[in-house]
Amino acid sequence: MTDDEYVLAALRIAAGADPVPARVSTDARAVYGLRLPGALTAGPVGVPSGVQQPSGLQQPSGVRPPSGVRSGGRPADGEPRLLRFAAGGVTIDVEITICDSHIDLAGQVQPAPGKGARVEIRTPHVSKIRFPSETGEFATTGLPHGWLSVVCHRPGNPPIATRWQCVRL
Amino acid sequence: MPYDLDLLDEPAWRDLVERFGYRMWAVARAFGLDSTDAADAVQAAWLRLVESLHTIRDPERVGAWLITTTRHEAARIHRSRSGAPLAALPAEIPAPDGDPVAAMLTEEDGRRLWAAVDTLREPCRSLLRLIVCAPDAGYAQLARRLDMPIGSIGPTRGRCLRRLRSLIEEDR
Repeated sequence: MTDDEYVLAALRIAAGADPVPARVSTDARAVYGLRLPGALTAGPVGVPSGVQQPSGLQQPSGVRPPSGVRSGGRPADGEPRLLRFAAGGVTIDVEITICDSHIDLAGQVQPAPGKGARVEIRTPHVSKIRFPSETGEFATTGLPHGWLSVVCHRPGNPPIATRWQCVRL
Repeated sequence: MPYDLDLLDEPAWRDLVERFGYRMWAVARAFGLDSTDAADAVQAAWLRLVESLHTIRDPERVGAWLITTTRHEAARIHRSRSGAPLAALPAEIPAPDGDPVAAMLTEEDGRRLWAAVDTLREPCRSLLRLIVCAPDAGYAQLARRLDMPIGSIGPTRGRCLRRLRSLIEEDR
């Protein structure tokens, strides 16, 4: 941001020009409901080359390449995007496929979280629960474009939540 | 008003949105982001706050933290829109200490800046007013409104803003 842009931002604020869209304020207030007290936040980590991607999601035909996951890595044309998060000795791999109207997601928790664990795939307005396989794999389809986070709830341990990612075409 | 983040309840959160939402929006828009991208930058900052509540040591700096975080997110989106390689998500949000945006975006600064705009000659006064009040207007539209050649809008904008900044610095 240059000095000129600081000046323009200060002028806009003082003028009350360019009002905040109502949706932006509504979404900001709604974030309060997304708190996860006690959760560990899993930050993004690099994915080693040659990592096998989770097999939980059958690739539908005719999907578009994920050109716009803004929050990590380089575009990988023609391939679903693999993101890796880690915290507390647990790794969560998330494979994202961006389609025209929705997002498909497959992933794997390692080490496998065991019996009674739940994986919650969250967007600001929708939450889906999946019970991971014995090898920790999970998948869901039909998520809206935009923000998402994956949370692994483990009996007797704090939940692990990936940092929120913005996924758009 | 200090915030006890351990006890940050919903009314306190709504108060934060009320107090800082507009400044965050203005910072994102000042990067030239369209409304969808600016909304993402602002929402990113709120989501980072939820993720980072336990790491914030100084509740009185939450506002500055939100503005700094919005600026970082807006910069990342701006870079990616400009065709630069997507920046990796930073592992940690930098501390807001000494952030010039947070320091500058006060009501008093705004009043002083507008008073200074009013002392500028034309076309600076009209051009800056239009740029501020019609943030989506392109150079072609500005050129039509001000009856100026389109090629002179960019240089004039830069010259007017430099003049404005020098007035403010003289005033300090």
